[in-house]
Amino acid sequence: MKHFKIYVLNIIFACLLCSSAVAARIEISAPGEQTIPLAMTRLLPMGVGAARSAVATEFQQVLQGDLELSGLFDLTDPASFLSDADKLGLRRNEIDFYQWRMLGAEALFKGGYSVTAGKLTMELRLFDVITQRLLTGRNYRGKVTDVRKIAHTFADQVLKSLTGEEGPFSTKIAYISKRTGHKELYLMDVDGYKPMRMTSHRSIVLNPDFSPTRKELIFTSYNKGNPDLYRKEIYTGRESRLSLKPGLNIGGRYSPDGREIALTLSKDKNAEIYLLGTDGTIHRRLTNHYSIDVDPTWSPKGNKIAFVSDRRGNPNIFIVDIHTLEVTRLTFEGKYNATPAWSPKGDRIAYSRMDNGVFNVFTIREDGTDERQLTFGKGSKEHPRWSPDGRFLIYSNDLNGGAKSIWIMRADGTGGRKISAPGGNDSHPAWSHRW
Amino acid sequence: MESSRKQRWLQLQSAFEPGFKQMLLVSILLHLLLPVLYYAPFFPKRVFEKPPVYRVNLVNKIVKNPQAGRPEAAPVKKKPAVKPKVKPKPKPKVKPKPAVKPKPIPPKPKPVPVKPKPKPKTVKPEPVPTPAPTKKKPQPAPKPAVSKAQEDNLALRLKKMRAAQEKKASEQARKDRIAALKADALAESSKVRSPIADAPVGMADGTGNEAGVSAFAFVREFIQQQWSFSKYQAAGNPEAEMQLFYNAAGTLLHYKFVKKSGNSAFDESLTRAIVKSKQLPQELPEAMPFEIVFNLKDMLAKP
Repeated sequence: MKHFKIYVLNIIFACLLCSSAVAARIEISAPGEQTIPLAMTRLLPMGVGAARSAVATEFQQVLQGDLELSGLFDLTDPASFLSDADKLGLRRNEIDFYQWRMLGAEALFKGGYSVTAGKLTMELRLFDVITQRLLTGRNYRGKVTDVRKIAHTFADQVLKSLTGEEGPFSTKIAYISKRTGHKELYLMDVDGYKPMRMTSHRSIVLNPDFSPTRKELIFTSYNKGNPDLYRKEIYTGRESRLSLKPGLNIGGRYSPDGREIALTLSKDKNAEIYLLGTDGTIHRRLTNHYSIDVDPTWSPKGNKIAFVSDRRGNPNIFIVDIHTLEVTRLTFEGKYNATPAWSPKGDRIAYSRMDNGVFNVFTIREDGTDERQLTFGKGSKEHPRWSPDGRFLIYSNDLNGGAKSIWIMRADGTGGRKISAPGGNDSHPAWSHRW
Repeated sequence: MESSRKQRWLQLQSAFEPGFKQMLLVSILLHLLLPVLYYAPFFPKRVFEKPPVYRVNLVNKIVKNPQAGRPEAAPVKKKPAVKPKVKPKPKPKVKPKPAVKPKPIPPKPKPVPVKPKPKPKTVKPEPVPTPAPTKKKPQPAPKPAVSKAQEDNLALRLKKMRAAQEKKASEQARKDRIAALKADALAESSKVRSPIADAPVGMADGTGNEAGVSAFAFVREFIQQQWSFSKYQAAGNPEAEMQLFYNAAGTLLHYKFVKKSGNSAFDESLTRAIVKSKQLPQELPEAMPFEIVFNLKDMLAKP
């Protein structure tokens, strides 16, 4: 009986506790801060190697440029750093996280380097200040000249640790430049450094595109008088003509699996879209219309191709299903829509539209909804192309009608900056895949 | 003259259609009927009330049952009327007090003359050591050997004390500054006047009777401010649910994920926000559990 009473009392007490502790349900549908406060300390020399401040400075500059472009971070002012910034502590227990938390930082970059006999060693770490956890850490070894490459590669890792998807900073950008007086093919880093000439055709080179599977490029060149399609291996420099049909062989684009190439041929006196094998044989004709069909771009699934056609009067963007050959119109606004590029994520198609004689970059969904203008102001912005992760866009811009240059921006149109070196007339950019 | 009027009237009559007079009469009657019907009690009338005005001030104290309305209104209008009645009473009570106070003062001087007596005693030993220095002359030699470490120690202690004192002073200055800022903010907020003078104090969705904000609104706002997540990290619209338990002092006792979003970056950002919110800047009316759903609906809705 006594036990029964205790049992009943316990039940009553539990019921009372439950009734008083009913949790309130709250919904928070947006974060208070939309950037991650990051403290980026300067690389410190470690070990017995000689201290080279130039290495630290260059590394800092490249990594900071990449992380700022990502739009993920809000960098803490280095002037506010306290004593922990001068300590080479690369382990959790060696870092005074309290100092960084006081500065409002949520992420902390720390690193050390050493140079011995011309060989560079770097130890780089990214910490979560709040949970005092290592987010990512990498050790790199290379030559002193590899500083930029290491910085880009680590920036990719930082993005991977914070978003789950690697960044595109260690990839390459191909473009056409008129630095030598002729339009030649060039290759450069994502931040515009290390420009390297790839062709010396002394004619006109156009429309480069990277193979998704191999380290090679395709482009159109008037080297032999006719606009033929060429293929070039990047590291060996080997070059061959892939398509040399009479008339146009332009706008070649690799399929996502790298097995086919969509391009415009005018062998039958009218510009139509065709599918070619990687050996140059015609697999299929995709369009059959008396109008001009150019600039194909593949959907990431590889089942559709967007292209430009003037079949309704003005140049507009259309989509053809490569299995059914059904053509649907994508753009209805504007009088001149050209150079489409399908996002690798598949959600949007970027293109340039001319209004009042000026081109600007727009994006639109595949179903023709949610059209957004990304660029504004003076200068024609043309030939948009996506980064392999779909986070960024590159395009050519002729500020105030002058020489064209290559620009980069985030996929929402923010953070636009010029990347190509001044002095060249640069256009037709193309972004490589991750190698 | 009359004949001409009659002729005009006849002309008018001929111009009207047959039955026009009846129609005119019916129309007039219907028009007269409208106001009658309007004022008749058959139809309920819409009373135009003043629209409620709400302002949420999260600086206000957290209460259990916040009432609806604006924060700066003065709902306690009747209380001041009661206070003056009470005030006159204590006033006469205060007056006799100063009369009493002087009394204890005179006895105080009495012990004062007593105190000087022991003082000379303490002073006396002081002159004693002054003649002694002649005896202690050999002592200065060992002093420097010992005092080096002592002096260093003393200097260090002095330094520490000074630093502590400076810290205390700066802390006090900071507190004073905060108090001044708070007073300014209070004065500023008291200047704000609602278009509706009699709107009560409280929350937009308040239903209680206490002036202040609800703990839920406060906790929601505070945790949201601690949460950093970039739209460039977002993939789709992740949603996670967490359970938090705060005690009455506003300290987080425990938390757990009820449902994770599957996006590790999103879930980690929530953990960071919760760790940053482990101590609320204000106390809660009681120990409270919260179930918080985090998503990016509002952030993604913006282009």
